[in-house]
This record gives sequence, C-alpha cells and structure tokens, in this order.
Amino acid sequence: MSTEENQPAGSTISRRDFLKLTTSVGFGLAIGAAGMASINEKLIPEAKSEVNKQPVNDVIAMYGDRQAGIITPQQKYMYLVSFRITTSQKADVIQLFKSWTKFSDLSTSGGTMKTGDNPLLPPSDTGETLELSASNLTITYGFGPTFFLEDGKDRFGIAKKQPLYLKDIPRMPRENIDPSLSGGDVCLQVCADDQQVAFHAVRNFIRLSTGYATLNWLQEGFISGKAGVTPRNLFGFKDGTANKLHDNPEGNKKVIWAGQEEPSWMTGGSYMSYRKIRMLLEVWDRSSLSDQENTFGRHKESGAAFGKTNEFEAVDSSKLPVTSHVALAKQSGQLIHRRGYSYTDGVDPKTGNVNAGLLFIGYSRNPEEQLIPMLKLMQSKDKLNAYTSHIASGMFACPGGLTAGQYMGQSLME
Amino acid sequence: MKKSITLSALVVATALTLSACGNNDTAKPENTEQSQAPAKDHNAIQEGTAKLQGLTTQLQDAITKQDTELVKSLGKSINDAWLSYENAVRQTYPLEYTDVEKYEMPIFSASAYDKIDFNVLTDTASKLQDALTALLNAKESSGESSEILTKAVANYKLYVEEQTDNLTKQTALFADAVKSGDVERAKQEYAKARVFYEEIEPIAESFGELDPKIDARIGDVEDVSAWTGFHRIEKALWEDHSLEGMSQVADQLVIDTKALQEQAKSYELDPKLVVAGAMELLNEAATSKITGEEEIYSHLDLVDFAANVNGSKTVYLSIIPALNEKNPELGNQLDQSFQQLEGTLRTHQTNGQYIAYDKLSTEEIRVISDQLSELSNLMSQTASIL
Repeated sequence: MSTEENQPAGSTISRRDFLKLTTSVGFGLAIGAAGMASINEKLIPEAKSEVNKQPVNDVIAMYGDRQAGIITPQQKYMYLVSFRITTSQKADVIQLFKSWTKFSDLSTSGGTMKTGDNPLLPPSDTGETLELSASNLTITYGFGPTFFLEDGKDRFGIAKKQPLYLKDIPRMPRENIDPSLSGGDVCLQVCADDQQVAFHAVRNFIRLSTGYATLNWLQEGFISGKAGVTPRNLFGFKDGTANKLHDNPEGNKKVIWAGQEEPSWMTGGSYMSYRKIRMLLEVWDRSSLSDQENTFGRHKESGAAFGKTNEFEAVDSSKLPVTSHVALAKQSGQLIHRRGYSYTDGVDPKTGNVNAGLLFIGYSRNPEEQLIPMLKLMQSKDKLNAYTSHIASGMFACPGGLTAGQYMGQSLME
Repeated sequence: MKKSITLSALVVATALTLSACGNNDTAKPENTEQSQAPAKDHNAIQEGTAKLQGLTTQLQDAITKQDTELVKSLGKSINDAWLSYENAVRQTYPLEYTDVEKYEMPIFSASAYDKIDFNVLTDTASKLQDALTALLNAKESSGESSEILTKAVANYKLYVEEQTDNLTKQTALFADAVKSGDVERAKQEYAKARVFYEEIEPIAESFGELDPKIDARIGDVEDVSAWTGFHRIEKALWEDHSLEGMSQVADQLVIDTKALQEQAKSYELDPKLVVAGAMELLNEAATSKITGEEEIYSHLDLVDFAANVNGSKTVYLSIIPALNEKNPELGNQLDQSFQQLEGTLRTHQTNGQYIAYDKLSTEEIRVISDQLSELSNLMSQTASIL
C-alpha cells in the first residue's frame, strides 16, 4: 500500500512552529538575486523531527513512488498553472526545478519561507499562510510536448526522452479551443483543502520562476462533497463515479500508471489530459429533469444508471439512450482516472450568462488508447454537446514520484 | 547591531546555495577574495583596455572623416571588446567601470542609427578615451563600506543635479516650440524633455506638489480645467491638434521645472533612498509604461520606459562598489539582466527613436514585461548591501 499511495505523513508540524525553527537559523528562499532559492537542506529533517509531537493530520507526503495529487482523494480547491520556459539554458531549467522542489517540500509540510528580518528587502514569503496548516496541499507536475521539441528544436537535449503518447490532443469536432489558454511546457496542478494555501503555493511558484519561465495561463477550480462520496459537477450530477472501477493497485496500474514501454523517467508516472469545458448553466437549468437525466443516462439524485437503483451498480448500456454521456463512455470500453474541478469565470458580457464549467482532468496510462477515441466519440455524438463547449486543452506527461533530495524532473533532466 | 546579524545570516545562506544543490552549476567567486585582483584579471584588464583604446582612436578618426559605415562597425567592435572583459573591470575597478560604461553605451547605440550625429559622438568618444586612460592607470579602491556607500550617494546626487539641469534646459526648448506654434518641433522636443524627467522620477515625486504640476495625467486631476504640465500639452499636440491656450501652460511648466532644479540642489539623499528609488523607477515602468497608460496621446511610452530603466541603471552603476563587496553575484546578475533588457529595447528603435507603443504586439510587450520582472526582482535584492 505504501508504494501505491502517498500516505498522510506521520510526521507533521504546524506552519508556525516550522517558521520559528527556520527563522532562528537564518534560512530563506529568496536570498540569491533572482529570488532563487537557497534552503539549507540539512536543517529541514532536524526541524521536522523536533516538532513531531504536535501532529496535525492534514499533511500529504510529497515523496513516494508516485506523485501526490493523482490518486490522492480530491481536495476542495485546485489551481492549474501552465508555464512557458523562457530560458534556453538547461542549467537554468534545472535551477528552477530545484527551487520549486524546495518550496514544494516546505509548503506541503506546512512551512513557509522565512519572511525576512531585513526591513529593506522584500519578505521571502508572501505571508498569507503564516497561521494556516498544510491543508492537504499537493503539487503535481507534468511536461507538455513543447518542453521536448518546439518547432522541431530539441530545446534542452531531452527530445529522445519524450514519452510515447505525449502529443497535443488532436482537433475534435465542435471544439472552440483558445490557444492562449492551452498547452504549455510545464503544468502544475496545485490542490488543497484551503484555497488560500493553494494560491499561496501558486503565487510563490510564479515568483520563483521569474527570469526562467513565464506564466501561460492559470485556472482555478473547486469541488465539494463528503469524504468517500462522489462529488457533483455544476450540472448537479455526480462526476467520477467510474473511478471506483479501478480503485485498487491492480486497476490503477492498468488505468493510470505509465507502462514498461515508456522511458524510465516515466516509471510511476502518468499522463494528465486537460480540457476546459464551458457549461451553459442557464440553458441546462431550463431543461426538464428527464432531458437532463437522458443526457447523462443516470438518475440525477442517486447517480444510478438507468435501470439501476445504486450509483455503483454495473451499467447496463442497453437501458441507456444511445447518445447519452455514460453510454458513449461505456461504448469506448476504456477507463480513465477522473479528477475534475468546477470553475466560474465571471459574466459573458454579451449574454449576461455566467461563464462556468468543468476543468476536466483525467489521468491515464495511454491517452491515445484510453482518452482520445472516447473524446472523439463524445464530441461527435454526446447529447451533452448541446450544453457544453470545449474551450481549452492540454496534455502533460507527469513523471513518477521523488525521494527526498531529488528535484522535480531530475530523472528526465539528467 | 541588528544589521550585522542580518548580513551574516545572508552570507551563511548564500554560501549554502552551493552545498545544498549537490552539484554546482555556477561557481561563485568567494566573498573573501574580492579585495585582491588576481594577476590574471589584471593582465586581462590591461590588454582589453589597450585594445579598446586603439579601437576608440580609430573611431575618432572615422568621426573626423564623417565615415558613417566605419563609425557604425567600430561602434559594434568597441561594444564586443568591452563585453569581453567588463566583468573583470566591474569587480576590480568599479568606479572606472561606471565611466567607461557611461560613454561606451551611446557609441554602441549610435551604430544602429541611420544618421550619425557626429558632433555629439566626437564629444562622447573623447570622454571614452579619458575614461579608458583612467582605467588603465586605476588603482584598486580599498574604501570602508560606509565610505563606499557615501561616495555612491554623492555620485548619484551629481547625476540628479545634472538631469534636473538638462530637464530645465530641454523644457525651455520645448516651451519655445509650443509658444511659436511649431507643432512638429514641439513634438520632437517633448520626447527629449520627457527622458530627463523619467530618469529621475522618484526624486521628483518626493518634491510633493511639483510632481502633479509637471507630470499629472488627465485621470490624476480632480479639475480638468486646472490641469497643467507635460501631459496637458501632449494632449494638445497629439489629440486636439491645437496649441490654443498652451503658451500659458508651457510658461508654467518652465517655472515648475526650474523650481524642481532648485529643490534638487538642497535635497538630502541617503543610500536607502537611492536604492529604493531604483526600485520605484522599475515599478513605474512596470505599472504605467508597459501598459501604455503614461503617454496615451503620443504613444511615447517606450521612451519613458527606457528612461525609467536607465535611471535605475544609474543607481545600479553607482552602487557597484558596494555590491562587489557585499554581493558580487547579484552584481553579475544585474549586469546581465540590464544588458538583456537594453538589447530588447534596442530592437524597438528605428533610427535611434523608439517606435510608438501601439506598434508593439502583445507578444513583444510580454517579452519586455518578463525581462523587466526579472530585473525588478534582482533590483529588489539590492538593499542587502545597506
């Protein structure tokens, strides 16, 4: 089990205690000129063991065979952030990943950077989490196709290590993709049960990237539901019921984790596919309950498929409208691991309608087999298309987990 | 007392950067060896400077002969020669470095222009020769930290006074053009005058009432009929296409810039203020210039932007000795970052003039903005020398 999932860490500390310990030894991130990091690695484990007596059970271990934030139970808030690397130097990219790793280590354990004792310098940490705990913060990262090859150029000498299925999702019928909200060299999925904790991490990742990378786009999502209960999307339907079908080490291996055929740095890794799906809430809300249920092929309240009474009962496709969402998903015969979040984006100035929808995030072993045929089928036939529009897209290869002392992407970069 | 603790913490943490990452990507110079220039560096500086003197002599010949092509190609060669060893100079002879840098830059910039102003260049080239001679005979400075900073502030104060003098003169020329009704000339003089103001903007802002009188934008004023200063005339020139009523505004502007010049003389600067000012200049550039909000009628925002950056660079140049002593790596990074941004800005010039802001694409603006962020981040760390 311990190799399968990142367990909540037994050794936890409160953010404030961590801060106390670290300030006293003059440890700060933004010492180097570019705000680049210098954390004294040796001090961190000591600091942690000192405060083990005070467990706060909202720390998810960052280190392990897999990255946290994939099969970790969904936290309430997510930010998805895409960066474009601006430096052309591999050493700079490594430097960036190192400082991101150090910040990740610190923030996922509930720590903050030293805020600084020189009043003339900007504080190292932005400060908004000083009294807050780790809040189950996870940071999951992946690399886009352009990180390996951009316009035919092997930017960092790693093109030969590009994973087998890392390609942009091909054009789909009916899509309205905005390129400025799609793709990117590096994508970070930052999740936490406290939105301020999640944003704090995002903001400091951005700060640390100055001079090395630039922000492409940033999305924020939310989802809510009781523990162990499938959360609902903004159409009021349960989203992710089918995750249950592979929710065991063997199933995850088949559905989520990259296979033997991949470059070694993908061992324990996965592909993250992303679609931003605008949902026409006003139209949906004027549709009858039976129209809504026919669109999904499930009952709204119970989540049970047509002809069944329980959410997790096996689906009998013959009972479902042929172009319903669930019928098409079953027809594709594929499973993916869904980890979506809802979003709102203000008001459409022309219609006065709310801009809102789903940030679809799916993890899979082989998106070419598992995701793309399913997506094609749905985009052509899905009844849901009357109420939705795909407006952004991305595909990222997420490496396996880290052991303490390694930096993000090390097995790829070296 | 508190200061010494802070500094030692910084030194410890900086030193740890090396050990923490396992393998060293960039070797950093040891802090303790800053005061002695290795013989290798000394020889490199002597050789480099001798070569640069030769090239400058050739340049002076070419200027005398008014040979545009040769002047341009020598401008580039001089820049290449300087870049090849300037790091060693900056770390060993910071004061002499600043002078060479000051006169080398305009010679390189001129190499990109279609038309060369030989009169101006004659003067610059001769000053570069003097600076090179000074560099060749330079002795290593071994001042105390506090002396170094005091000197930095004194140098900067001189610069501020120089710029307020220039501002007053140039504003007078601008006012003349406005009063004579010569729109084209007024537009030209406007751009020139703006540069001097934007280079010292944080200082000007500390003079209270004068700043809004000279530099308020239409959105800044409560009563538009009482609006004065550069931007009032900017609107008349580029938007209203009428200089009616502007003679009075021009006269007032001359009076206000003279008042600024007077106040600057008695202005007490301290290192904190100077360093903070460099940061404020970059923040100015990042908030109003990069967004095109400063010069909404003339679209000369890049002129102001470059002037903000240049003003900030002047601060950087004057604190190099202190940086060398306290944080040489920061000095290196600042040098690179200024070069990068200046290089980008140069690509947006035609014949020595910045193109209009509205001719830049979103992507081009983003590149400038990203490079400015990098520079600002570095500049925000300079207070570590205080």
